[in-house]
Amino acid sequence: MSAEVLRLENAQKSFGSVRALKRASFSLHEGEVVALLGDNGAGKSTLIKSISGVHPLDSGQIYVRGAPATIRSARDAIELGIETIHQDTSLAPDLSIARNLFLGREPVKLSFLGVFAPLDRAELRRAASALLRRVGIAKKLDADAPVRTLSGGERQSIAISRAMQFAAKLIILDEPTNNLGLEETHSVLRFIKEMREAGHCVLFITHNIHHVFAVADRIIVMRRGEVTAEFVVADADLLSVESAITGADVATLMREGKSH
Amino acid sequence: MVAVSETPPAKPSLWSQALRAPEFSSLIILVIVLAAFAFGDSKFLSPLNVSNMIAFLPELGIIALGMTLLLTAGEFDLSVGAVFALAPVSVMLLAQNADFSLGAALLVGLAICVVIGAINGILVTKVGISSFLVTLSMLLIVRGAALYVTQGFPLKAWDRPGPLVTLLAGSFDWGPFRLYTSLWWFIVLTLLAIYILDYAKLGNWISAIGSNRSAAIARGVPADRVKIWLFILTSILAGLAGMISAFRISAASPVAGTGYELEVIAMVVVGGTALTGGRGTILGTLVGVLMLRAIRNGIVLIGVPGLAYNIFVGAIILAMLVLHAALQKNKARA
Ligand SMILES: Nc1ncnc2c1ncn2[C@@H]1O[C@H](COP(=O)(O)OP(=O)(O)O)[C@@H](O)[C@H]1O
Ligand SMILES: [Mg+2]
Repeated sequence: MSAEVLRLENAQKSFGSVRALKRASFSLHEGEVVALLGDNGAGKSTLIKSISGVHPLDSGQIYVRGAPATIRSARDAIELGIETIHQDTSLAPDLSIARNLFLGREPVKLSFLGVFAPLDRAELRRAASALLRRVGIAKKLDADAPVRTLSGGERQSIAISRAMQFAAKLIILDEPTNNLGLEETHSVLRFIKEMREAGHCVLFITHNIHHVFAVADRIIVMRRGEVTAEFVVADADLLSVESAITGADVATLMREGKSH
Repeated sequence: MVAVSETPPAKPSLWSQALRAPEFSSLIILVIVLAAFAFGDSKFLSPLNVSNMIAFLPELGIIALGMTLLLTAGEFDLSVGAVFALAPVSVMLLAQNADFSLGAALLVGLAICVVIGAINGILVTKVGISSFLVTLSMLLIVRGAALYVTQGFPLKAWDRPGPLVTLLAGSFDWGPFRLYTSLWWFIVLTLLAIYILDYAKLGNWISAIGSNRSAAIARGVPADRVKIWLFILTSILAGLAGMISAFRISAASPVAGTGYELEVIAMVVVGGTALTGGRGTILGTLVGVLMLRAIRNGIVLIGVPGLAYNIFVGAIILAMLVLHAALQKNKARA
């Protein structure tokens, strides 16, 4: 098996009395696409938010490329090569595409000035349009246009290209195809495959099991804050995966399936 | 440079961009307003009247710069008018009654502003109370403090000139115009604010925080820290404006700056900065400051009765906001 990118052991996270994560463990490897499945409220978003530094874990250990890592903030995660596209949009609608692409990592001149350093606008435009061209949407989009003016799918593409640009080791997408049209959904799935080919590891959350079978190599199922099942897509069948998600046992599902 | 071959797709011309900018429509209206007043009363453009307008301009203008940055980050500050009073009152009390040198007293005054801003910022970001409630309470506390320490009376007149007083409120003649050093403060601070908001990395963060806070945080932008510093900056600028004003008229009053918070917010939004955050323009604010100042001054000159005068100011602000909203809709459709 190829090198381990990230491993999580016994992750725990509570919001007040809600135990969103209780002892969740799993690992991810280079060049694989992993689908994270589970019912609403299973703890999927909380899990990825803990890896991306939005909600630091209460307890548990994260290993990045084998070494123990502490992720207390989004910056920590980004510096470890973890890029996340959150369920709630990750873009600032009033900022231009270019400024969104480089938000938090702006190219500057006179960098000793810290936050007062002037943006390198020429570099910003150049890098942004190069990136947009690379993901195949340069013809349609002007890097200076505010994100507010884009469609949902275009925004998702922007968010994804941002994740790609810093050659992140691990790219996490939380329900990336939600609210997208057919065409846009396909381009997102295509992106996911391209990222795998480029050697990135992709972890994505979805409720659409067909998308899982179309692009994923492996499936991780969560229930009530725990990782309860894992599948290799090549050997998995729809029914067992669905029963792992709902918690029903396979025999029952088979019987129901036959009676229809 | 290599950038030439990488030119992105067709960009709207500078001119058409300018036409659609919110500050541009404000500018047009400003010109119309100025022309109308000049036409209505020839005294409007007289050196004396222009000097008067320019003398008042920086005092609200300096606060408006801080408020623009704060609004762009999605917050606002209702305590600025009270800080405008408390800062000079404290400075003059310390210097007149407590034997502080003016320099030391000014430092204490600034420190008070920093503390007020920091408390505002920390309560808003770390405790999570809305800036409306936090700064409204702070307005009461600070105004109350100014009244309490002075027992409600204006302080005795300031009669000790010196380099620091000249630095804050000196004046000089330029042709027929009498100008104050506060104008330089305003010009320099305006340029700095333009630089920060439009050219520096920090400005990108400020706009991003106001536009989508969680997105900015997810990119590693320290949103809370930026907001706290903006509250501090706004407070410092309000205190500085108060000191400039007090030393210009050689007196500090505990009721100075009453109502300034709303006037300043009006200047900022009239200029095209979004009250909801994410979009701010310092040039627009400059237009807004000039506009409200000119309206307040011109209305008196053309003989609108003093008591009717807020009706006009309110109506013009509303008209401006309607215009911005219409332009914004147009843009979204385009
Ligand atoms: N910020 C939060 N505050 C309080 N409870 C939360 C928060 N985020 C998630 N939860 C709770 O944690 C549980 C898991 O939620 P989540 O991770 O969003 O599930 P999923 O993404 O799998 O649908 C749910 O019960 C949810 O209500
Ligand atoms: Mg979720």
